[in-house]
Amino acid sequence: MSADDELIRKRQRDRALVMALLLGAFVILMFFITVAKTGLNW
Amino acid sequence: MQSLDMTPAALLPADWRDFLALTKPRVMSLVVFSGVCGLLAAPAMPPFALGFTAILCIALGAGACGALNQWYEVEIDARMRRTAGRPLPAGRMSRDSALHFGVGLAVFSVLLMGVATNWLAAALLAVSILFYVLVYTVWLKPRTAQNIVIGGAAGAFPPLIGWVAATGHFAALPLFLFAIIFLWTPPHFWALSLFIRSDYAAAGIPMLPVVAGARTTRRHIFFYSLPMALAAVAPWLLGLTGPLYGIAATGLSTLFIVLAARVLSNRATEPSEMRPEKKLFAYSVVYLFALFGALVADRWIVW
Repeated sequence: MSADDELIRKRQRDRALVMALLLGAFVILMFFITVAKTGLNW
Repeated sequence: MQSLDMTPAALLPADWRDFLALTKPRVMSLVVFSGVCGLLAAPAMPPFALGFTAILCIALGAGACGALNQWYEVEIDARMRRTAGRPLPAGRMSRDSALHFGVGLAVFSVLLMGVATNWLAAALLAVSILFYVLVYTVWLKPRTAQNIVIGGAAGAFPPLIGWVAATGHFAALPLFLFAIIFLWTPPHFWALSLFIRSDYAAAGIPMLPVVAGARTTRRHIFFYSLPMALAAVAPWLLGLTGPLYGIAATGLSTLFIVLAARVLSNRATEPSEMRPEKKLFAYSVVYLFALFGALVADRWIVW
């Protein structure tokens, strides 16, 4: 694997990781939005 | 405009940090702060999750504006020292990636705002993004020296959006907050453009110092600071806020006018001799933070 290929793989891995974290945060945010909108107390 | 696309670096997947840089995080901080103040100054307080989401959407909308601005102005940015190192002119990202990121972020922020708070706030956010990108960046900025006067409205939306996200309707106070930022923007940017005039001239942007000269710009700075100060004090005079805000607004605005008067009396043409301009520019940022901070303190602590 050339240095360029390695750099491409590393960038892809980093971006996938950031995307996964953002999607996880979005799911948690939607959960709390739903709780707030429905007026549930827990 | 496509020539910058084919640099070898642009063929690599862009680093995620460059996407973050596209959102202009430093500019975003003032936008977020004014949005938070608009939300906290409102008489109704939404649940924390909804208030947090409203501010997040304002931040994402501002980030989308930054990305779309950089997508459109890549060739201008490449000609200015201050902006030449940004991801697009430096060739670290393709223009298409920036465009897709900007549009995606804009659509996402508006939809999330509508779902989480109300559709009036979402519509205001959409209008502010479109205003910044189409009216300011594409239409006014490259064409007229008054670009920042009208374009300033784009940056004035966040406190209004924050208020509407919390209450669902307009009121007099957030409209004054809109007016304060609207009138604050020209002296703030003209002070900056005086001492980086050569950058704007090289990029062919018709900022006031480039088109009308330093003397006219200094006069404009001073005379714009007067209605700005009046707009800042007006909410107190009209009984919309308490004395804490009134005292802070009076003191901060008086100092703003004093610094603008020093700019007016300066005759320097070299950036190295433009200390009053640099001072006013730095103070103008502190001014807005302190004024809006005083508004929130007045609402939560005293009034």
